[in-house]
Amino acid sequence: MPDIGGSDLFVLEFGDILHYYTPYTTTLFLLALIFTLLAIASRPEGQIDIAFGGDAYYAKETTVSEMRFRRFMAIACGLATMGAMGSGDLFNFTLFASLVGITNVGIVAAVKSHHVLNAAYEYGIVAMVATLPLFGGAALILATTGTLSIPALAAGVIAVPLVGKALLTLGVIGEGMAPFYAAKAEMFRAPGAPYVIMCSLSSLLIFLRVVEIAITI
Amino acid sequence: MIPDYSVGLLVAFGSAGVAFFALMRETDGLHRLLLTDLIEVVTLAFIALVGTDLAEALILPGLVVGVSELIALSEIYRVKEGYVRPPDAGLQIEVMESAPGILAAALVVYGIVLSGFTGGAVAGLGVIFYFLCRNHRERFELIETASGYSWVLWIIAFFVFMILPQYWFFAVMLAGAAILVKVMAKMSLIGTMRGGPNA
Repeated sequence: MPDIGGSDLFVLEFGDILHYYTPYTTTLFLLALIFTLLAIASRPEGQIDIAFGGDAYYAKETTVSEMRFRRFMAIACGLATMGAMGSGDLFNFTLFASLVGITNVGIVAAVKSHHVLNAAYEYGIVAMVATLPLFGGAALILATTGTLSIPALAAGVIAVPLVGKALLTLGVIGEGMAPFYAAKAEMFRAPGAPYVIMCSLSSLLIFLRVVEIAITI
Repeated sequence: MIPDYSVGLLVAFGSAGVAFFALMRETDGLHRLLLTDLIEVVTLAFIALVGTDLAEALILPGLVVGVSELIALSEIYRVKEGYVRPPDAGLQIEVMESAPGILAAALVVYGIVLSGFTGGAVAGLGVIFYFLCRNHRERFELIETASGYSWVLWIIAFFVFMILPQYWFFAVMLAGAAILVKVMAKMSLIGTMRGGPNA
C-alpha cells in the first residue's frame, strides 16, 4: 500500500464504518472548513456590467431570498465536502460526492437567468449520468473484494480491480467536473461571488480525495 | 459455465451503453432528462447485482440520490422553460365522492393494527386516497409538526435502545408508533398535490 496520506491522526469508528483523518485529508478538510466559514460570513458580490461604448453600467441586484438559498446550498456543499474528506467507507464517499454534485447545481440554479439555468441543467445532467460510474465502481469493488472499508481495502488481501478504481474516478470527475472547469464557465457568470467559489473548491477537493483513494486501495 | 454475476454485469454494461448512445443522439431537453433516469436504473442494477444484505441497504441511498437529482433537474427545466400549469378542478367521478371516507378509515385502522413502517405505508395510502378524492384544506403545518414530533420520538426510541436496553419493549412500541405517524404524514402529502400555488 503506497501510503501517500501519511499516518492516521484521528480515527472515529462506528462499527465497521469509520472516519479517519491523515495529514493529507486534514489539509483538505481544513480548506473546506475555511471556505464554508467564508461563505457563511461574507455578503454576495454586487456584479456590475459596463455597457459597451459608453459610461453607463448595470448593477445586478441579488435578492435576499436568492442569497439565502444560495448560502444554504454553499454551506451544504461545504459540509458534504468535509464529509467526503474524512469518510473511510467507499460508499459513503460516493454518496458525499453525489451530494456535492447536487448542491453544486443548487448553488447556481437559484439565479433566474436563462443562460445560467441552461448551463446548470446541462451540468446537472452530467452529474446525474456520473452516478452510474460512481456507484457502479463502488458496487464492482464491493462485489470483488466483499468490503467497502478503505483501510480494509488498503490492507491488500484481495486486489481491487483497476476498472473499479477507474469507474470511481470517472464518476467523481463527472460529479464535480474537476479539474475540467470549462463546462462550468457559463455557471460562473452567475452573480454571487462567494458561493460559486464553493463549486470549484468542492470539485477540486473531492477530486484530490478520490486520487488519494485510488492510489491507496 | 459463466457465473451469473458476470452475465448480469455484461447485461448492465450493455444497457448502460444503449442508454449513453441514446443520450448522445437526443437533443430535446425533456427527453434527455428522461434518458438520464434510464441510466439511474442501470446504476441501481449495478448495486443490486452484488446481491448481499449490504447491497440491499445501499440501494436505498442510491435511489434517493437519483430521485433527488431528478426532482432538482425537473424543477430547473420547468423554471428554464417557464412552464406554469393552471390548477384544474380534478376528477369528477361518482365513486370518488362516496367511497373515500369508509375506505380511508378501513385502511388507517388496519395500518394502526400493523404499526411500524408497513402500517405507516398502509395508513398513508388511506389518507392519500382521502385527500385525493375529497376537497382538502391544505394544513401542511399540522402535518409537518406531527411528522417532526414523531421523528423526534423515533430518535428517542433509538437512544433508549442504546442507553437503557432493559426498556427495549417500550422503545419498540415508541419507534413503531412514531414511524407509523411519520410515514403516514409523508405519504399523505402526495394526496394534496394538485399543481396549485401551494402544492
